[in-house]
Amino acid sequence: MLHYYDPSTQSYDAGTSIPNPDFDFGTPARVSETLVSVSIDGREISVPEGTSVLRAAALAGINIPKLCASDNLEPFGSCRLCAVEIEGRRGYPASCTTPVTQGMDVTTQTGKLAKLRRNIMELYISDHPLDCLTCPANGNCELQDVAGTVGLREVRYGFDGANHLDAVSDDSNPYFSFDPSKCIVCSRCVRACEEVQGTFALTIEGRGFDSVVAASQNDPFMDSECVSCGACVQACPTSTLMEKSVIDAGQPEHSVVTTCAYCGVGCSFKAEMKGDQLVRMVPYKGGEANHGHSCVKGRFAFGYATHKDRIKEPMIRDSIDDPWQVVSWDEALAFSAKKLKRIQADYGRESIGGITSSRCTNEETYLVQKLVRAAFGNNNTDTCARVCHSPTGYGLKATLGESAGTQTFDSVMKADTIMVIGANPTDAHPVFGSLMRRRLRQGARLVVIDPRGIDVLKTPHADEGLHLPLRPGTNVAMVNALAHVIVTEGLEDQGFISSRCDTEAYNTWRTFIAAERNSPEAMESVTGVAADKVREAARIYAQADNGAIYYGLGVTEHSQGSTMVMGIANLALATGNIGKEGGGVNPLRGQNNVQGSCDMGSFPHELPGYQHVNDPDVRARFEAAWGAPIDNEPGLRIPNMFDAAIAGSFKALYVQGEDIAQSDPNTQHVEAALKALDCLIVQDIFLNETAKLAHVLLPGSTFLEKNGTFTNAERRINRVRKVMEPIAGMEDWEITMALSNALGYPMNYSHPSEIMDEIASLTPTFTGVNYDKLEQLGSIQWPCNDEHPDGTPTMHTLDFPIGKGRFAVTEYLATEERASRRFPLLLTTGRILSQYNVGAQTRRTANSDWHEEDRLELHPSDAELRGIKDGDWLGISSRVGHTVLRAKLSTRMLPGVVYTTFHHPGSGANVITTDNSDWATNCPEYKVTAVQVEKVSQPSGWQRNFVDFDERQRALLKPAMENGEGRHASTLK
Amino acid sequence: MSDQQLDNLIKMLDQIIANNRHCGNDEKVTDVAADHLRKFWARSMKQKIIAYANQSPAELSAPARSTIAKLEASS
Repeated sequence: MLHYYDPSTQSYDAGTSIPNPDFDFGTPARVSETLVSVSIDGREISVPEGTSVLRAAALAGINIPKLCASDNLEPFGSCRLCAVEIEGRRGYPASCTTPVTQGMDVTTQTGKLAKLRRNIMELYISDHPLDCLTCPANGNCELQDVAGTVGLREVRYGFDGANHLDAVSDDSNPYFSFDPSKCIVCSRCVRACEEVQGTFALTIEGRGFDSVVAASQNDPFMDSECVSCGACVQACPTSTLMEKSVIDAGQPEHSVVTTCAYCGVGCSFKAEMKGDQLVRMVPYKGGEANHGHSCVKGRFAFGYATHKDRIKEPMIRDSIDDPWQVVSWDEALAFSAKKLKRIQADYGRESIGGITSSRCTNEETYLVQKLVRAAFGNNNTDTCARVCHSPTGYGLKATLGESAGTQTFDSVMKADTIMVIGANPTDAHPVFGSLMRRRLRQGARLVVIDPRGIDVLKTPHADEGLHLPLRPGTNVAMVNALAHVIVTEGLEDQGFISSRCDTEAYNTWRTFIAAERNSPEAMESVTGVAADKVREAARIYAQADNGAIYYGLGVTEHSQGSTMVMGIANLALATGNIGKEGGGVNPLRGQNNVQGSCDMGSFPHELPGYQHVNDPDVRARFEAAWGAPIDNEPGLRIPNMFDAAIAGSFKALYVQGEDIAQSDPNTQHVEAALKALDCLIVQDIFLNETAKLAHVLLPGSTFLEKNGTFTNAERRINRVRKVMEPIAGMEDWEITMALSNALGYPMNYSHPSEIMDEIASLTPTFTGVNYDKLEQLGSIQWPCNDEHPDGTPTMHTLDFPIGKGRFAVTEYLATEERASRRFPLLLTTGRILSQYNVGAQTRRTANSDWHEEDRLELHPSDAELRGIKDGDWLGISSRVGHTVLRAKLSTRMLPGVVYTTFHHPGSGANVITTDNSDWATNCPEYKVTAVQVEKVSQPSGWQRNFVDFDERQRALLKPAMENGEGRHASTLK
Repeated sequence: MSDQQLDNLIKMLDQIIANNRHCGNDEKVTDVAADHLRKFWARSMKQKIIAYANQSPAELSAPARSTIAKLEASS
């Protein structure tokens, strides 16, 4: 892009002092209270101490040519194009590596500088193909721009000398190509891989003229350590590293800033378009969650939105053995409404329910729970957060008074000790994982509590990290042992405890935790972790100025998930690590809008804003606004719905954007429940596993096709903006609205902003949230109300919503799911980088090139005992089921522990997980299943049935997808 | 009610009681457990466990029966 002449690319947004996120200031911002005044080309400017001359000039509106510099990378001083003259100094220092000093007088344009820059560009261009008109970077090439800027008119060296023009392209990565003939060896890609991503997969191999960019040991990108985050592609100033989608389609012509729909980091992206065609997703530097970084999912895995499998028209059928019949929206909605009403007439008001989506927007989620409460007339609403972070809601509300994490992501940059418990940020929250790694490279200490050795333990150039590889199911024993050390070794923050915490609860907890039974020595035989390592971990955390805890589903998905969340809050309270940057309790939410779906009242006992349904004042406000009575009793949670369905009292379910048949535990139980329903309405973008059991299929819209908001793991409400029209004509909120109207409960919104206004009017923590403010601020972290008009980056700085922090007694109880002679191994499940949740989206992209099947990881000693080799087919049996996966030998786990993912439905990973669950919330215990493993030669019975059923359901869908046969079927009941 | 649904309700109740043992004697534990059921169990779940308890089955522990009795008294 022509950054240097185009008036639209100014360093500040018009009329404001807000730096323009689209502008590259050359070097990163520096933070200092000391301001330094300099003169650049006669313009006076004051900047924080440590700022480079290049950045100061950019801030003053003066653009110095550059190629190796970028404001997301530390200055490197390689290209020398940014040379300037400084009064009183000899030579031509590089402005990128020269910090400003008080009174400095800089000149950026002189005849000598112009000649120097032209000479440099002449050398670059003498070894660069002159194919600008056919180059994919044409129109968006920094090298081309700088050639124009410096006035390059000739290349005196000619083009016949030694060069790299015949270097061979590497097209191994499915998303971008590497064409070394275009490379100017500026090292931006190498530095981006190091500084931004933290993988260190790239290097400059060779010296002098032979210097080339190499992935790992000069491997093809696909075979290297590259994780395909795209940071190198974004950093490249030429077309050396270029998205294949741009090579195919050409440069985009407009863009829209929106929010990624993958994990709970909630990265902001510029969706770069050609008409209604999405050409590429570029991480947006103005995004507060990601600051211009991305991962392989958000950056590249968007092709599912236009995949041929998309459901494009509403469909209905009476039985799951019938072919799907395409109908109009009106017919599908009337069919659904008629069935729901009939079932309620036959089986009662409480015989139906709905499941909101943590992948859909806040506004859509809000409408689904409103539909259930106001139109269905019961509280049978739940969300997939039930099976991931419901214990977070329970545990944090009980101890801190609010069901949410306490920090911003950026807070990690002030943490001195980072404790990661049951989370795998480099895989499941990759952009935050990179930020965490950056802080670790700066010297923060790392403690990892996890049965597996996760990749953050292998962060290059960082503290080695202390890994406590505990046995699955012993989290609470571990957190109690840590707290015991803090209490008995005098590591508590007594000032914080006495001023901020409830004294009675603290005294009760302190007596409990100080008991010898909670000591690391007593718990050693339970956790399997040496007591001295536990003591060391407790000291590293408690003695840090700022200690931060990050946790994931390895904490929540246990029979004591809620207890463990409270145990984590206890640690933070005891050490005073609440209410300040660098500390906090940070749940890493799995899906993009888990936080939001919980905030929006998806749980059956809570209205939006975590307001209990049995509070008459709360109900009165909602009843007045909604014009409908609200049941004062909680509704059924998802596992309770399944039980009730099998028992015959729960007969219909409306599922928005969740694949409960694949993602929920004990698959055969789930399938039995769904098959027992008289009416299953699935609103989704594909025929997922749940939809194969449905009677109504309402075609949903992807995040690219709708307006709304997502709320990420740091409570940040971000705008989702429509970049293309919904493929089936309706955004998801419009579908829910239409269903409600068909049921006779009127909903009349013309835009999601109106829904947000209603949310704000009913939710005390959202009263200040509206779309205008979101446009103005970019994003808002709730609470946002009169007390916090611009939102709340760090929570609990002065007090807690419950007044004082409440310590909770967390007695360890072993799970009933234990290893035995029959099932001697413990299975734990998790995620990998390239796939997302049930894989419905990522399996329909080239991300499957990295992970085309789920495998069972097991320790070589367990394998040897059973005569298992890498790649063997293994039968895995638990108390509830049996499935077959291929073996992958791994030393990431201790002997006795095996691991798999659940991204592919045919794997049947959840056929073997049990319906054990958290005592407080019914969150399933995915992380502990006792299993036996043996070599087998054929798929399991469930898997064979799965293949047959899958083929049959696809066959029943095929005619409807191909030609719309059966349209407007009038024979359906 | 299916046996499975009943089994699950009993198991959940036992879990709730076990995880609140720290609250003190049976009186306090069952107070907390009953409150938990009030806040988080659906009406149909409450009704079913109450109906089952009224049959005085041997499968229910004393604290479970006491919890259900407190739940019933407040409903």
